[in-house]
Amino acid sequence: MQKVSVLGGGMSKFARQRLDGTPMDWIVEAALLALDDAGVTASAIEHTVIAYESEILARQVTMGQVVQDMLGLNPKPSIRVEAGGGTGGAALRTAYAYIQSGLCESVLVMGADAVGRQVPASTVRQVYALSGDVDFEMAAGGFFTAYYALMMSDHMRQYGTTATQMALVSVKNHRNAISNPFACMPMSLTVEEVLASPIVVSPYKKFDCAILADGAAAIVLSTERWARDHSTAWKDRPRVYFTGSGCATERVRLGDRPQPYPGYAHFRAKREAAKAAYEMSGISDPRREIHVAEVADTFTGAELQAYEALGFCEQGESGILSERGVFDLGGQLPTNTSGGLIGQGAPPGGMGIAQGVEILNQLREERPDSVQVRGARTGLMDIHGGTSSFSVVSIFSRED
Amino acid sequence: MGAHVTRKLEHLVVESPTRNDEVSDKWAAFREIELIDFPLTFSFRHSLGKVSRFFLELEKQRLMGTYCSACDGGVWLPPRVICPDDHNIMEWVELPNQGILEAFSMSAYTLGTDGGAEHLVLGYIRLAGARTAILQQLKNVSSEEELAHGMSVKVVWADGEVEHPMELFWFELDV
Repeated sequence: MQKVSVLGGGMSKFARQRLDGTPMDWIVEAALLALDDAGVTASAIEHTVIAYESEILARQVTMGQVVQDMLGLNPKPSIRVEAGGGTGGAALRTAYAYIQSGLCESVLVMGADAVGRQVPASTVRQVYALSGDVDFEMAAGGFFTAYYALMMSDHMRQYGTTATQMALVSVKNHRNAISNPFACMPMSLTVEEVLASPIVVSPYKKFDCAILADGAAAIVLSTERWARDHSTAWKDRPRVYFTGSGCATERVRLGDRPQPYPGYAHFRAKREAAKAAYEMSGISDPRREIHVAEVADTFTGAELQAYEALGFCEQGESGILSERGVFDLGGQLPTNTSGGLIGQGAPPGGMGIAQGVEILNQLREERPDSVQVRGARTGLMDIHGGTSSFSVVSIFSRED
Repeated sequence: MGAHVTRKLEHLVVESPTRNDEVSDKWAAFREIELIDFPLTFSFRHSLGKVSRFFLELEKQRLMGTYCSACDGGVWLPPRVICPDDHNIMEWVELPNQGILEAFSMSAYTLGTDGGAEHLVLGYIRLAGARTAILQQLKNVSSEEELAHGMSVKVVWADGEVEHPMELFWFELDV
């Protein structure tokens, strides 16, 4: 297989409410920044991939066609990708596959969603619930916060994981967001403040939750040959490649998953996706060989569960390692240096691509000193849909 | 003056969302914004699909799962039409009204509301003889401390009118 370059990335602000534009406007902003960062012109791009979860919340069906037109990219081909919360990661994987297949040599990947305060949170919750089991579980009153809470309550029961260990994830991710001008919820929080925040669904409290946000992100991928010919930045910037991709699926309803593994407490699809990505990029000891990671922190506990599924630690060990600061800046494997979904925000179509922007910037060592992981050469992105009923793991590596 | 726009909510001039980090706003010419009310309402004639018998039998106070006679891999509840193990078409079977509570959570929110006093308890219950667990509400529980993994629960059937078939039953502790 040929090498796929990660040429550039761009963000459009993740915020609780963006009245300054439509989701298509935000995508255009992010795309222009990504093209500029990549040192390529829009007219050179051969293909686009558009990522968004919900037409209803965007108030636009066929958003990809609209954005393609707005950017002046007609008649170039474009494809839409959707995988719930995993949409952005699925879009990156799709773009990678398009390049590897030889269909094209360059792809602009763009994603957004509008889940901020232009619409009541209860409406977003109902639309999200449509991405799980509708006729049995949603009809019984089920929704995603409750599903994640059920998972984590079982994790706590099995392993003794504590609310304080979860709160540490919130403190870390909100703190990391302080150095990110595109982040939604930069905050200096204490564990006590997280623990004292109102209960949403036990064991989750307000500050354990990812933030429903508006926003967009974009990334340019290409072959090396195309980069040499079309990117003014190619010669001078550190070179980052897309070296691993894994994807897996799982039964949608938690109660249908086999016991004891994955049971309620474990992300099996995430484990399988990670295994495939590691195999592809030759990683055998992820905690040591990965230097920085953006992990799906839909909830604080989900980040802990992800550490285990991604092989950063053994099952049930994530809470203790979180207490020891293993995943903090300065720790062995800093995670969510962007702030993650908790600190940066969680527009489904944008967030998986935003993870790629963060990892690209980390590997190029272009983040501010306060959050830069020095010498990072390999970075991981983990994002999922549902309760990891769809999971995608991507690896970027820098080569000097 | 021309006509009045009834759905207009606001006319405002917004700042750049990342205002502190920019020397000049390149979108300055596009910061004047109009907000309008945009209602969107749907209602469907919704088929409950091939597993509709499950919902219909609830009206007769019967809980129906499905099983695969080819592999005899156990009873699935909620029912499925295809066996995930050997991909054969499943058959219907009735399940008892008792089970075990496997996981639970108490919510300050419900699906359609933004907080409030009502608390919703959801649990995964494995009925006796079932291979899988079904999500349903637990009622007559005043605090989470009353609940524990492995507790026995029983089906309680609704009286009168309900809107959706899944409201025809719930679970309570079997004490």
